[in-house]
Amino acid sequence: MSFIRRHWLSAVAILASGVVFLVPFAFIVLTAFKDQKQSALLDFSWPAGNYLWSNIVEVVTTRNWMLLTAFINSSILTVASVTLLVIFAAMVGFVLQRRKTRFSGLIEFLILAGLMIPPAVVPTIWLLQGVGLFGKLHGLVLIEVAYGLPFSILLYRAFISTIPRELDEAAIIDGARPFDVFFRIILPLLWPVTVTNIVVQSVAIFNDFTNPLYYLPGNANATVQLTLYNFQSQFQTSYNLLFTNIALITIPPLLVFLFFNRQIVAGMTAGAVKG
Amino acid sequence: MAGLELKSLRKSYGEVEVINGVDLSVTHGEFVVFVGPSGCGKSTLLRMIAGLEDISGGELWIADKLCNAVEPRDRGIAMVFQNYALYPHMTVYDNVGFGLKLAGTPKDVRDAKIRDAARILQMEHLLERKPSQLSGGQRQRVAIGRAIVRKPEVFLFDEPLSNLDAALRVDMRMELAKLHHDLGATMIYVTHDQIEAMTLADKIVVLNGGVVQQVGAPIELYQRPANLFVAGFIGSPRMNFATVTIQSLAAASLTVSSEDFEATVVPADIAGLKVGDTVTLGVRPHALATATSGALVGQVVLVERLGNETNVSLRLRSGASWLAVLDGDHQLRIGQDVPLRFEPELAAIFDGDGRARYLA
Repeated sequence: MSFIRRHWLSAVAILASGVVFLVPFAFIVLTAFKDQKQSALLDFSWPAGNYLWSNIVEVVTTRNWMLLTAFINSSILTVASVTLLVIFAAMVGFVLQRRKTRFSGLIEFLILAGLMIPPAVVPTIWLLQGVGLFGKLHGLVLIEVAYGLPFSILLYRAFISTIPRELDEAAIIDGARPFDVFFRIILPLLWPVTVTNIVVQSVAIFNDFTNPLYYLPGNANATVQLTLYNFQSQFQTSYNLLFTNIALITIPPLLVFLFFNRQIVAGMTAGAVKG
Repeated sequence: MAGLELKSLRKSYGEVEVINGVDLSVTHGEFVVFVGPSGCGKSTLLRMIAGLEDISGGELWIADKLCNAVEPRDRGIAMVFQNYALYPHMTVYDNVGFGLKLAGTPKDVRDAKIRDAARILQMEHLLERKPSQLSGGQRQRVAIGRAIVRKPEVFLFDEPLSNLDAALRVDMRMELAKLHHDLGATMIYVTHDQIEAMTLADKIVVLNGGVVQQVGAPIELYQRPANLFVAGFIGSPRMNFATVTIQSLAAASLTVSSEDFEATVVPADIAGLKVGDTVTLGVRPHALATATSGALVGQVVLVERLGNETNVSLRLRSGASWLAVLDGDHQLRIGQDVPLRFEPELAAIFDGDGRARYLA
């Protein structure tokens, strides 16, 4: 009796979060098994037959294997952007935390501005066209890096403040040049927050829909999120294929998350208490 | 030969002068200790020598090379930090070898040097561990190993023992003395611990407010402190002071008295002093002894009986508190009046500017 009284709130919370997080997943998976007719009902019913394989084949081969191109594009985009983000954000965070100059205030304002002010699409396209990067994958890489930098810098700077300055100084005395100090001493110590950054930013960039839509037009340039439009239109939508597609493109972020999950928490909480 | 020469070295942060014209010369193989109260600039001075702080003025010569603008790595120095500053992600082996690796030393030479340093510090069994798996004393050893492996001209220590517990500190102190003896290198050591300073140093530099107060051998600083600050800082428990008036002058001594003191003759350099001047009399607690009738009488406030000696806190007639350390055991009651005497040769006279007036 007292067991129920003590734990009923926890049980309710677990049930509620289970419903909130698992029901959409279940809906995606169930719909991916259905044929077009049943999926058009958009109800929470058991699939009448197993159409998963034919759905997958159709999704992958649609528009001349567009999904494969999209997966390759998205992978390049994500890996390149996250790599640059990690290196640049850690560098900026390191310099900002370690060296106080009269520009520090301005730089911090710019970082906050980057977080708060929504990006303007048309001027950005105009600028990209000016430098010949519009519609190019590396142009989008730069966009993603620019949009992701402020948040990553904030994470890194907070973490770097917990690394004692004596470590830099010991390295300097040992004969390290500034780049040695950063790449051999500081960057390895940033691993927990780097993992956090990799997970947060790669999921965000991989799942990004709007930026590729604006800045990367053209079928050859499609990224995974844009392939969702293949099965959705004003007059006809194949929900079975749409949800199969969703299921397929959810797998990579899920893997990243499972792989790094244990280390994310360390990165988020490190710095809270000085060890 | 790596001596060290500081010529009116200055450091200021904007308007604030932290180091105010320090002159010092250190010969090869000397063990020099910087002592002073917190914020006296001793660590800043060390960091200026290391090259971690810019020099605002003056000249720094290391081994006959002007080092004001030389990068730390080219100064031929190694430094041991208070909190060890070991690289947490590297093994002890890599920690010790990091400097050599950066310098591009071939792998076999590096390996030999690391193992040699480990042998000197008796930490061969620790080489594969990470710093987090070491105790405080072992970490300190690794930090020292990292310094000696580079064969520097000058070793710099920034309060290296202050994070260790008391027993370990005594051990490490002896090891440092032995290391200095074995390596014969120049060492500069910053501490606020007097015992470390007195036991390790060939030469102590007392700093206060960014100014050198006195430079000398430990025992010289104890026996003949140059001014009131050094007299009060060196020696534990600290020297007792009393303000006294000059009653009469002789060729090499003066007679002083005050409310607390009967007329006492103290040998001193009397140049520039005249009868009626107010001076400060300093007497070390260990120089005081009980007597049937003595130069001063104090009321016992607190007694600490340690067996081999007795620490007595006294209140003098004027209300000043003095401390006496008496040899052997004494049974004293609180509130009792105790007459005390001291050898005049062991007392020091400080003039109005705080300078000691010893006979040459």
